Amino acid sequence: MRRLWRLIRGEERRGRKLRGLLELLRPYRARTMLMFVALILATAASLAPPYLAGRAIDDGIRQKDLGALTVVVVLFVVSALVTWGATYAQTYLVNWVGERALQDLRVKLFRHLQRLSVGFYSRNKAGVLISRMTNDVEALNQLVTDSVVTLFQSSLTLIGTAVILVLLDPGLALVTFLCFPILMVSSLAFRIASTGAYRLTREKIAWVTAYLQETLSGVRVVRAFGQEPRHEQRFAELNEDNREANMKTVYLNAAYFPAVELLSAVATAAILIYGGNQVVSGNGVTIGVLASFVFYLNSFFDPIQALSQLYTTYQAGMAALDKIFELLDEEPEIVDRPNAVELPRVNGEITFDDVCFAYGTGDDAALALCDVDLTIPPGMTVALVGATGAGKSTFVKLVARFHDPTRGRVLVDGHDLRDVTERSLRSQLGMVPQEGFLFSGTIRDNIAFGKRDASDADVESAARAVGAHEFIVGLPSGYDTEVGERGGHLSAGQRQLVAFARAAVADPRILILDEATSNVDVHTEGRIEAGLRRLLAGRTAIVIAHRLSTIQGAGRIIVLDKGRVVEQGTHDELLDADGAYASLYRDWAEQAAA
Amino acid sequence: MGTFWRLLTFLRPYRRGVIVSFALAAVAMGTGVFIPFLVGRTVDEIRKGETNLWPLAFAILGAALIRLAFSVLRRLIAGRVSLGVEYDLRNRMYRHLQSLELAFFDEQQTGQLMSRSTVDLQAVRFFLGYGLIFILQSLVTLLVAAAVMLALNVELGLLALAPAPLIFWVAFRYGRKNRPASQEVQQKIAELTAEVEENVGGIRLVKAFAREDRQLDRVRARAQRVFDQSMVSTRLRAFYNPFIGFLPNLGLAVVLLVGGRQAVHGQITIGEFVAFYGYVNLLVSPVRMLGIALGMAQRAVGSGARVFEVLDRQPEMTVPAGAVDLPAGDGHVELRDVSFAYVGTEERVLDGVSLDVPAGRTIAIVGETGSGKSTLVSLLPRLYDPSAGSVWIDGADVSTVRLGSLRSQVGLVSDDPFLFSDTIRNNIAYARAEASQDAIEDAARRADIHDFIAGLPEGYDTVVGERGVTVSGGQRQRLAIARALVMDPRVLILDDATSSVDASTEAAIKRALRELMEGRTTFIIGHRLSTIALADEIVVLEHGKIAARGTHDELLTESPLYREIAEKGAPDRRFLTRKPLEREVAGL
Repeated sequence: MRRLWRLIRGEERRGRKLRGLLELLRPYRARTMLMFVALILATAASLAPPYLAGRAIDDGIRQKDLGALTVVVVLFVVSALVTWGATYAQTYLVNWVGERALQDLRVKLFRHLQRLSVGFYSRNKAGVLISRMTNDVEALNQLVTDSVVTLFQSSLTLIGTAVILVLLDPGLALVTFLCFPILMVSSLAFRIASTGAYRLTREKIAWVTAYLQETLSGVRVVRAFGQEPRHEQRFAELNEDNREANMKTVYLNAAYFPAVELLSAVATAAILIYGGNQVVSGNGVTIGVLASFVFYLNSFFDPIQALSQLYTTYQAGMAALDKIFELLDEEPEIVDRPNAVELPRVNGEITFDDVCFAYGTGDDAALALCDVDLTIPPGMTVALVGATGAGKSTFVKLVARFHDPTRGRVLVDGHDLRDVTERSLRSQLGMVPQEGFLFSGTIRDNIAFGKRDASDADVESAARAVGAHEFIVGLPSGYDTEVGERGGHLSAGQRQLVAFARAAVADPRILILDEATSNVDVHTEGRIEAGLRRLLAGRTAIVIAHRLSTIQGAGRIIVLDKGRVVEQGTHDELLDADGAYASLYRDWAEQAAA
Repeated sequence: MGTFWRLLTFLRPYRRGVIVSFALAAVAMGTGVFIPFLVGRTVDEIRKGETNLWPLAFAILGAALIRLAFSVLRRLIAGRVSLGVEYDLRNRMYRHLQSLELAFFDEQQTGQLMSRSTVDLQAVRFFLGYGLIFILQSLVTLLVAAAVMLALNVELGLLALAPAPLIFWVAFRYGRKNRPASQEVQQKIAELTAEVEENVGGIRLVKAFAREDRQLDRVRARAQRVFDQSMVSTRLRAFYNPFIGFLPNLGLAVVLLVGGRQAVHGQITIGEFVAFYGYVNLLVSPVRMLGIALGMAQRAVGSGARVFEVLDRQPEMTVPAGAVDLPAGDGHVELRDVSFAYVGTEERVLDGVSLDVPAGRTIAIVGETGSGKSTLVSLLPRLYDPSAGSVWIDGADVSTVRLGSLRSQVGLVSDDPFLFSDTIRNNIAYARAEASQDAIEDAARRADIHDFIAGLPEGYDTVVGERGVTVSGGQRQRLAIARALVMDPRVLILDDATSSVDASTEAAIKRALRELMEGRTTFIIGHRLSTIALADEIVVLEHGKIAARGTHDELLTESPLYREIAEKGAPDRRFLTRKPLEREVAGL
């Protein structure tokens, strides 16, 4: 009971969220109102049959009045038709409004996600973010459509039936209501118990499926090591766990549903005993009224069972709502300042003015980059070199203003990036990610991604510029070739070239490039090198470099170590300096010669 | 309909349970049908002015109690049967998959197999476990109620039963129409998910090119499609559900009209009239159930056919009866005129290869992609059988010895080692579950991975793999080496074992590899000269044939192909590769 009380009180805090949910329905007010009208109509009409059946006995059969009987039957059919029609309208409307509102919520969530900074994406797992927009919204769907209807319909049915019963005969109504609390409590207890039991079965079956999936993907290892018997045994164990978990639900169902049937029979017997005596003693209860009571029992038990189910959906829906709002409450870290200006077309001079950066806040946040103080002249290609975690990625992220520096300033052509609008900076920026991330769609879509309103001619000339055109027209569907999920239909080398073209079409002043590490065949390798040269020409470029040819061709090499710039200069200069770069180079040469 | 009867054979071990639960259902439903009759009798007694209604009330309660007892028992037994069928079916499917040879899995997509073992299996078990019992139970109720109604009054009985076939048909039809519609909704949601997934994956690009608006438009369009498809399914539901609810009311109206007239004319009593009304109400849910269960049966037959497709696939790799263990030896490997083509293809991946490798030798196999290197080594542990020719280890044809004894003597370390979602300890001891902690730690030390493991909060009990801690490529590789060390095989295969790691990691792995290769016959497949350098001898494969064989220096002069591979396959253009942090472990 205390648990129930907490449950109800806990709702105050959820008030804001429920209001937020209602807010989603506001554009569809008229339809929502109409839905409630239909719902009330349907419920009212569905309450009529048992009453009418009783009247048929009293007015028609007992009075031997065929006219009255016909009238009752006509009313009976009319009420059935109204129920049908109104239920149709109500089902359609509630789903229309519900689905509409949820799709709006999805778009709203997505728009919000798009506003959030890159840092947010690094902190949160992709799967979790996606689940907010899919599973959690689906869970809300249950709450918004089914639960709302159940709540109102079942409550109205219960109240309506109770009122009718009391009006028919208060004494008999009281007898009927006696079974009420028992059913209510046992239904709620059953739901709470079975929620846990069903959750357990879902967990167990998930384990079974995951194990199956894993041994299928690892089938080569299983075969090579000849470990089939072991996996069979383990699988049988998991399968057995699943069976046991399901057995619990069997026990619960076996106890509850027959018990409800018994209760219904007990109530029928009680009504007959008490009501029968009333009828015989002529205390105003007619045989028709008695029959109505017996018939109403049918529609009395269903809504109580339905209401008890609400508990589960309500819990699930509220949990989803909490998670969704948590996401909506997340503020983007990087927003344009109120007085931010448009960055004019730049030459591409990049300055790091005593920059430090740490991911996260607090004292223990490790510095990913520190004391970086340098200027890259317009049009130069800079190669970033260093071990994993040296700060190369952080360096380019600051240039793209995915993060703001913790200390110091990053400037482009003398403009502090924090003083300009995000859009005006990014529209002059191009990026080639490692392994050339492509979106599903055609090659044309992917290249045109680089620039708003890119024409087909733009796309083609960009592809020509980086030397991707030949391979593209060689494909059966040319530019309209579907690249598949993450570009899976193309080879690694082809993906690179398309990513180059995508950057080229944007004609950026500043280019950020994360070189691929994967092996491609010699022929493609040559193409990529040529394409890269043409892409870099005439722009300021920062390359996270892995190819020796790129590093040797760079105007400047910046060697990073533990977040600090340890060396700068050209390949030859750095070899002469005989410092960190020279030793890296020697390691590599040794390895190559081994 | 063959599939249907075959599906029923899954119930054979539970024959008794099925029969008993059927009998229990019959009794429970029979007494249930008795209750409206008793209610009718009571009404008639009341009409007669009888005040002592207790005997009838007790009769109702008695019937209800009998029904309760039998229903509870029926549910328990039927539940046990259905879960048993599910358990058996799933185990059988899994065991069967384990018995199939590797080539089978090459032909099949994992997703396909998964869907057969989950979705299709589910449809089958739903039908066998629940659908069949629904059908039986509903039929009993229907028959008993119909019999009682007809016995009471033929004309009224027939009229009241008239909507039943219609309800059955509509429920069945609705199920059939609604299923594809709601599957399509799921499909649209999946497409929306994919769109969002891609966006999250490529968020840096979206931001860098400032294309948020494009992405939003795309998601909006996807959401609209989810909405449209949901409305298709909603319209079906909005029409059929109330319609199915309307039909029994039609039956009730008929009872009111005709039964009422008969009652007025004194042909039936008011009690019988009430009883009839009760019967029509009683029939609604079983009839509806029948419609639903028939839909289940239909699906189960379709799914069953797909399940049987897998179960009927006989294992093609067999071991002769009375096969013996691989004889003792030091790992002398011999390929005699071996050819190989993958199932369903004409192209010979290997074409008359003969190769004799003395025990303890280390052989590197090089060649272009697709020259047959991986295929060749897959024949040693008999992952595949050659199309022609034979493979011998220590004087025994591998196709004649017990598979377990063969595979425990041929170790494999691949370029992308697969780890199971299990503890590091169990992954290392994968080949020998009984290996002691000392043996495991010793192997880890020799594979140069012990320090890493010891540094983890849970040490050897850390769970790795898909559902555990993420380990880098280099660490996975060393764990795989430790796994092979514990196995202690005579013959070792290193398939491109150092391809995906950077220079410093490679050095560590090479140390571990030398340790592992000690005293074993080893086959190395590698692109990197540094790896190939570990070998005593090199075999060059070209289009499935051995093009040359010799030492590095010999081949440089003798084999143009080798020279080309050596030159361009050098390590290459990669300078300082950026790979995930060695200690990039979730939660650290």
